[in-house]
Amino acid sequence: MRLLLVEDDLETADHIAHALTGHGHAVETVHDGAEGLVRARSGDHAALIVDRMLPGLDGLGLVRALRAEGLPTPVLMLTTMSGLNDRVEGLEGGADDYLVKPFAFSELLARVHAITRRGETHETTKLRLADLEMDLIRRTVVRDGKTIDLQPQEFRLLEFLLRNAGRVVTRAMLLENVWDLHFDPRTNIVETHISRLRSKVDRGFDRDLIHTLRGSGYVLRAD
Amino acid sequence: MSCVRIRFLHTEAFRLSAIYVVIFAVSVMLLGGLVLIITERAFRDQAIQFSQGDIAAIQNGYDVEGMGEAIEVVQQLMAAPSTSDFFLLQKDGKPVAGNLPAMAPRTGVFQLVRNGHEILGVGKMLAPGVYAWSGSDFAHAQLVKREIVQTMVWLFAVALLLAVIGGALVSRSFLRRSDAMARACRAIMDGDLKARIPVRGTQDELDRLAGTINEMLDRIAALMENLHQVTNDIAHDLRTPVSQLRQGLERAKEGPGSEHAQALETAIGKTDAILALFAAMLRIAEIEGGKRRAAFATVSLAGLLHRMRDLFGPVADAAGHSLAIDLAQDAEVRGDPALLIQLLSNLIENAILHTPPGTHIVLALTVQEGRPALTVTDDGPGVPTDEHVKLFQRLYRREASRTRPGHGLGLSTAQAIAELHGAQIGVVPGAAGFAIRILFPAMRG
Repeated sequence: MRLLLVEDDLETADHIAHALTGHGHAVETVHDGAEGLVRARSGDHAALIVDRMLPGLDGLGLVRALRAEGLPTPVLMLTTMSGLNDRVEGLEGGADDYLVKPFAFSELLARVHAITRRGETHETTKLRLADLEMDLIRRTVVRDGKTIDLQPQEFRLLEFLLRNAGRVVTRAMLLENVWDLHFDPRTNIVETHISRLRSKVDRGFDRDLIHTLRGSGYVLRAD
Repeated sequence: MSCVRIRFLHTEAFRLSAIYVVIFAVSVMLLGGLVLIITERAFRDQAIQFSQGDIAAIQNGYDVEGMGEAIEVVQQLMAAPSTSDFFLLQKDGKPVAGNLPAMAPRTGVFQLVRNGHEILGVGKMLAPGVYAWSGSDFAHAQLVKREIVQTMVWLFAVALLLAVIGGALVSRSFLRRSDAMARACRAIMDGDLKARIPVRGTQDELDRLAGTINEMLDRIAALMENLHQVTNDIAHDLRTPVSQLRQGLERAKEGPGSEHAQALETAIGKTDAILALFAAMLRIAEIEGGKRRAAFATVSLAGLLHRMRDLFGPVADAAGHSLAIDLAQDAEVRGDPALLIQLLSNLIENAILHTPPGTHIVLALTVQEGRPALTVTDDGPGVPTDEHVKLFQRLYRREASRTRPGHGLGLSTAQAIAELHGAQIGVVPGAAGFAIRILFPAMRG
């Protein structure tokens, strides 16, 4: 993927660009907001990674300007501010996701992948992976012809995994998107719920769909 | 000294005194003028009245017994003791009695000047050709007027002096008190945070101002103390993990390359723990800042409890605990749903993490005198009463829980969130096991 990174801290920018390049992405790096806006207007990036605090035009201003011009390029906003208000402000300003520094690189990578996939499954009423099918209107899940009975939270968890099928989703992404939790819990909430979901979705079928990736998160895939 | 004098010329109290003196002076002058006018008019009226009486007597004499009697009356009047009166009785332009020379007969009230005397009197024709005039010297009225003016001037001078002295005293007192305020403020600026503005106890406006400023200073001092405490806590609590981090890295550097990956893994874990501590500290600061109140919405507590049960029920089960909710009715509060979820999560996670397997945890919603209350109860071993207060201190961790996940900020965060919502949070005394209750304010409207 071709990515644009707008980050004024040279060391951080270098670190992120290096790691993303290592994962096969083409990264263009600029160090201030105004230049970032100029480059973003070209529209040939799969996603933008924008620091919130930038000299001149700040990250929020950049995203607002982009959205005001009707550019749909997905944006992941980075920030050192952990404030709840900042997050809401960022998302309302038009960012697609919001990541607080410092973060594990796997977290950044998973989120970049997640936002670039937005829109693909946007208008669908059914989500499918191999023999698993979710009907979003009727709120039903069927695997291999058998109906799977899910509680509302389990349904939301599976829906999120299905929408991101084939991509890594991290614990933090699940906590934020499925349960609206914006803090680090001390108990193994995600592991517990994934384990229960697994017992309903995977148990009794010949191949597993929910896979754990140690240290980075989970992935729903058929192979 | 001259510096002080110039300073109090610039005080508000002096300005007020000066304005007061000017208003006072103008009113004294107006009053004086009024008194003069009234006095003069009274003298005039009296003089005219006497003169008219005299003329009436002369007329009467003339009418009853003729000119001879009229002359007699004039002479009698002139003979009255201590008189300063003037009379004239003339017939066909020639004076026949009185102490004035002949004059053109003119009737009515008018004023004459004779030998430098102002004489006010009344003239009347008693019969054709017979003219009488009676008047009195007005000089003593002028004398009285002058005395009144003099008295007024003295009064005015004395009052002015008193006003100026009073104004100066008031200014001095005001200046002394505002100086005391300035001194206290400067002492605080210089680092003496305990300095306060003296209060007289008179409940006047300066006292009230001083009281308000002192309250503000108390609040600032409390916040500073809090900040100081947190800074110390952070310094203290971070030193240990940072030292351990450093030791681990040092040991890895000395050790064989095969252990590097493991050492780095541990180092990242320790760094994450340090960052989590920072994040929790900053979160508390953000909550205490009160900005989140702008995002308050109406939150259903029953809905919240169901969500918490769905979220933590499986977690509790997995840890060998049970989690149940107990509510008879719903209640609503104004609040921030995300923060209320964090509050309850902290309490529930404490109950799961700090009790042995088999413990029952109950989330209850009750309403006490119109105030909604949420209680998280467990039937675990509980916490000794003397530790209850310490539980809410930042970074306090019970000896037994030091090996469990957490950084000692869970209850501090919970308390900050409760206070943001105007709720009280505390350990329920006498509970079997351990119970924490959040008592919300009554929902208005």
